[in-house]
Amino acid sequence: MTTGAQPTTVDAIVVGAGPAGSAAATVLARKGYSVILLERGSFPGSKNMYGGVVYPRILDQLHPEWWNEAPIQRWITRRSTMVLTETQALTVDFRSANWGQPPYNGATAYRPDWDHWLAGKAEADGALLVCATTATGLLRDPGGHVIGVTTDRPDGDLHARVVIACDGVNSFLAKEAGLYGDVDAANYTVGVKETIALPKHVIDERFGVRDREGVDIEILGGTSGVNGGGFVYTNLDTLAVGVVLKLPKLAAQKLRPETIIANLKAHPGIAPLVEGGEIKEYSAHVIPEAGLAMMPKMTGDGLLVAGDAAAMCLAAGIWLEGVNFAMASGMYAAEAAADALAANDTSAAGLAGYERRLNDTFVLRDHRKLRRAPSLVLSDRVQHLYPHMIANTVERMFRVDNPTPKPGLRRILNEERKRAGLKLKDLASDAFDGLRSFG
Amino acid sequence: MIALVPVRDGVLPAGAADAIAEAGGRVLLAGSATAEAEIEGCASEVFLAELGPVEFGRWTTTLAPIIAELPDADIVVLPHSPDGRDLAPRLAAALERPLLAGATEVGAHRVRVARRGGLELHELRPTGPFVATLQPGTRGGLTLDAPPEVHHLDIAVASDGAHDAHVVEVLAPDVRTMDLTEASRIVGGGAGLDSHDRFVQLDRFAGAIAGVMGATRVVTDRSWVHHDRQIGTTGVVIDPALYLSFGVSGAVQHTSGLGHPDHIISVNTDPHCPMMSMSDLAIVADANATLDELLRLLDTTGETQEAS
Amino acid sequence: MKIAVCWKWVSLDREREADRRWSGVSAADEAALQIALTIADTANALPGAVASEVLVICLGPAGADDVLRDAIAAGATTVMRVDASTELDSQVVAVALAEHLGDRDLVLCGDYSLDRGTGSVPAFLADELSSAQALGLLEVRPPSGDASGTFRVVRRLDGGRREILDVTVPAVLSVEGSAASLRRAALASSLAARNAPVETVRGPHGRLPEAEIHPYRPRARVMPAPAGGSLERVRQILDIGGGDPHAELLTLEPSAAAAMIVEQLRDWGYLDVSASAHPGTD
Ligand SMILES: Cc1cc2nc3c(=O)[nH]c(=O)nc-3n(C[C@H](O)[C@H](O)[C@H](O)COP(=O)(O)OP(=O)(O)OC[C@H]3O[C@@H](n4cnc5c(N)ncnc54)[C@H](O)[C@@H]3O)c2cc1C
Ligand SMILES: Cc1cc2nc3c(=O)[nH]c(=O)nc-3n(C[C@H](O)[C@H](O)[C@H](O)COP(=O)(O)OP(=O)(O)OC[C@H]3O[C@@H](n4cnc5c(N)ncnc54)[C@H](O)[C@@H]3O)c2cc1C
Ligand SMILES: Nc1ncnc2c1ncn2[C@@H]1O[C@H](COP(=O)(O)O)[C@@H](O)[C@H]1O
Repeated sequence: MTTGAQPTTVDAIVVGAGPAGSAAATVLARKGYSVILLERGSFPGSKNMYGGVVYPRILDQLHPEWWNEAPIQRWITRRSTMVLTETQALTVDFRSANWGQPPYNGATAYRPDWDHWLAGKAEADGALLVCATTATGLLRDPGGHVIGVTTDRPDGDLHARVVIACDGVNSFLAKEAGLYGDVDAANYTVGVKETIALPKHVIDERFGVRDREGVDIEILGGTSGVNGGGFVYTNLDTLAVGVVLKLPKLAAQKLRPETIIANLKAHPGIAPLVEGGEIKEYSAHVIPEAGLAMMPKMTGDGLLVAGDAAAMCLAAGIWLEGVNFAMASGMYAAEAAADALAANDTSAAGLAGYERRLNDTFVLRDHRKLRRAPSLVLSDRVQHLYPHMIANTVERMFRVDNPTPKPGLRRILNEERKRAGLKLKDLASDAFDGLRSFG
Repeated sequence: MIALVPVRDGVLPAGAADAIAEAGGRVLLAGSATAEAEIEGCASEVFLAELGPVEFGRWTTTLAPIIAELPDADIVVLPHSPDGRDLAPRLAAALERPLLAGATEVGAHRVRVARRGGLELHELRPTGPFVATLQPGTRGGLTLDAPPEVHHLDIAVASDGAHDAHVVEVLAPDVRTMDLTEASRIVGGGAGLDSHDRFVQLDRFAGAIAGVMGATRVVTDRSWVHHDRQIGTTGVVIDPALYLSFGVSGAVQHTSGLGHPDHIISVNTDPHCPMMSMSDLAIVADANATLDELLRLLDTTGETQEAS
Repeated sequence: MKIAVCWKWVSLDREREADRRWSGVSAADEAALQIALTIADTANALPGAVASEVLVICLGPAGADDVLRDAIAAGATTVMRVDASTELDSQVVAVALAEHLGDRDLVLCGDYSLDRGTGSVPAFLADELSSAQALGLLEVRPPSGDASGTFRVVRRLDGGRREILDVTVPAVLSVEGSAASLRRAALASSLAARNAPVETVRGPHGRLPEAEIHPYRPRARVMPAPAGGSLERVRQILDIGGGDPHAELLTLEPSAAAAMIVEQLRDWGYLDVSASAHPGTD
């Protein structure tokens, strides 16, 4: 066995070949820097079953006309938001033909395909992808400046002028670098997903789409009383059905995620969509959810953190966007790293360009805008009271009670609000938060 | 057609009865103490060739001319036991006949061989003579009342010439597997279980129902379970009353080693796999999460695992 | 010592031959290489030893080059690909391999390949090379000090029996996946092996005889009738709709599945027994 070999040295090491890492590696490689892209899985995406709906707009910059080659399942041409109670379902449904043609908007994709493709692009641009290799720690010079990583391979030390940690949620590297304050479970949600096989034509009929058109349904309520949200989306010949649940509540309610998914699938509003399908796979994963509230310091001497590793995932109960934030933050981290390498200063100060880029773009702007969204969407009122109030209101509006004349909407609303035990001022404040977030 | 069955000190290999039955009761017993082999009731015509200890090269040079001479022996079927598997290719080469290995069915004009890890059957239509090996346990033996007609072949055992390995010692089944061979309740785990820890759980569950645990080849290859707990034709052949399988596809080499359980329960995400089709109760579910739940139910465990 | 290791590259997905994600070699083939490397190391350690040589050879399409580079990274001295389709008769494969092995003291194989899985190529090789054969091994012990070239091996027999054999070179050995696990290549060497050239030689043509392919189904044999009545009852308890009429096929979420199993075991009368001692995993 070769021993005592000179440790390999490159300009940059990117840890993790997820969307963030591959985007970062691509940028650096294109600028002519030597990059090693480390992935612990046997191939990029092999450990990644999550993230079915991606919004790749950001790729226009990195891979123009990406839609001609990206391994997508269906283009999202229809988005619905469902509010569920035990017996009722209110759906706000939007479809746009524009989303079914270039430049497209969102798409469903299998992560093993997507990550594999994106990493392949990085390789094609000259990045050196090394799979089945786990970064086990950071190498530092006496001054604490990060100068590389250790890996689980024999003679596995790697030296570099800058390291970009894209190692996903709970980033081991960012923590080791002390970039995180202490985080509590309240900041995490657990995402659970089932992939269910159905023939393509059945999916097309049930969801009213054809060819490559697809549907993304976000669900409020229907999570068995555990604060969270649900989703259903269409791949070519499978459906993804999942829930995103607040960890503390889950623990408190002593319910198992599978049980909650099963209940969701049994809901009269969902059952007809998933009936008769064969479960192909089941996966669960934690998501950093509190957004801004828990983001770490983005840079240290010789180190940058991007994607989920930096809690960049936007998970506000029914919103679940991470891949796009990951790819963007990866790109920006790499651009900053490139500048720093050029200026020969990879200290935290030299890497400051990263945070600037994040602040000036959708990455942190969206997070700031939606700052209150998670706590609002996951609040007990929104979770448990509003669905009933809204659904009952609508039910009464559409119900025909002849000979009793139709009641006015205001009256129904008021009665339902009282019945739901809501105070006007709460309603007002939530509405205000909602406006600031989504308005 | 004739069966060729390698014999060690009068002991028949796994699948001998199947091979003899497939050949309509005609068999050539080759090896040591062939006369002592117990074939009452499962063979009609028996040829005995005393060859001494197992030495495949020497056996081949000796047997090839004999088989060429034997009446109605243009199709030779051996059991796909370790000895059969390793002798058949040598013989096929010497006889210049094609080898159809790992069959589940051998006929003069139609042979089905197991491929892709025993999950596919390839149907071949041979023309002319061939040598085949038959998966043990796929057919079952004959039950004849008349004793077989026995011919002692006096043969010139090739005086070495061929270069062979030599037997130092045969080890009886490892005690660690005896419980498996004799158990009446067996819980089997396959590649559907996602980690080494699952087999610690599975073992605990087996204990809870007074059974023992075995595993498939894929699992023992990963060293998640010691290889001597591998259930199947190349592992331990079992014959329990109850068999529960978790994440086992039911490849022929596995199911052929299962014996004939009175009750089979299977948990698998694929409703169409062979293991499910031969179960009394086939449950489509995640075997890992189901195992968690089972342990909780039978509360043989304090810990609860996070599904992930 | 001159050793050759035969690696069968298999694409688990017939359509996507080149896709590295769904292709590779078996655990058994990896074990074969590890054992070869160990034997080479031991032989090299002997005083005045000539450096041992480990050739990894694969008969297969270009897709196999990546795994051959992995072999280099792991420590193989040389690699060679005999360019041909994987869908060839085992004897044809063995003859083609033998042709390019040169004279070897030892040829190591996996006990069976992932796709054909007949375990016959090693035996055909032994025949072709007129070597001794010891196949389906659980353990291979390198010759002790005097390097007599005789190996002591443990071979799996049926019914849980095993035999101990002495094999003298030239010999073909095939090993099970559990016989050894391939050591992890040093990072530097796998980086170095990245673009290592893979010597390629023209291989045989021809195809396997046409075959109709069906999913495996056990050959009809007598099975006791399922205890339908009790299952009906359990069904009602859990209030599940009917499944496939032939098998008792139910799609359940895990907790219900567990309940169903326990209920069924109780019905069959397996659960009035208390737990008893049982062996452990290794
Ligand atoms: C159930 C669920 C559903 C989701 N749905 C969506 C969705 O619909 N749309 C969406 O946009 N997002 C979704 N997300 C979020 C999305 O999955 C993440 O935000 C996104 O994957 C983040 O990308 P990343 O590159 O930062 O991290 P990851 O994708 O997690 O990639 C990290 C990579 O680093 C590797 N790695 C980790 N540690 C090491 C190490 N020490 N050494 C080497 N390699 C290492 C991992 O193997 C992995 O490949 C979902 C998440 C979950 C859990
Ligand atoms: C010569 C030879 C001899 C052999 N001898 C033996 C032998 O003695 N014994 C033996 O067992 N094998 C033997 N094999 C191997 C055999 O061919 C099969 O490869 C093996 O039995 C398959 O094991 P498996 O079912 O665990 O794996 P797989 O065939 O990979 O099946 C895994 C199963 O798990 C299911 N699954 C996946 N995920 C889940 C989940 N989350 N929950 C539930 N189910 C899930 C899948 O649907 C699949 O059915 C031999 C092969 C050859 C060629
Ligand atoms: N095409 C091939 N190239 C190299 N080695 C092979 C090939 N086919 C089979 N082998 C070797 O023979 C062993 C048994 O394969 P098989 O006889 O196909 O079951 C494999 O594990 C390999 O070691």
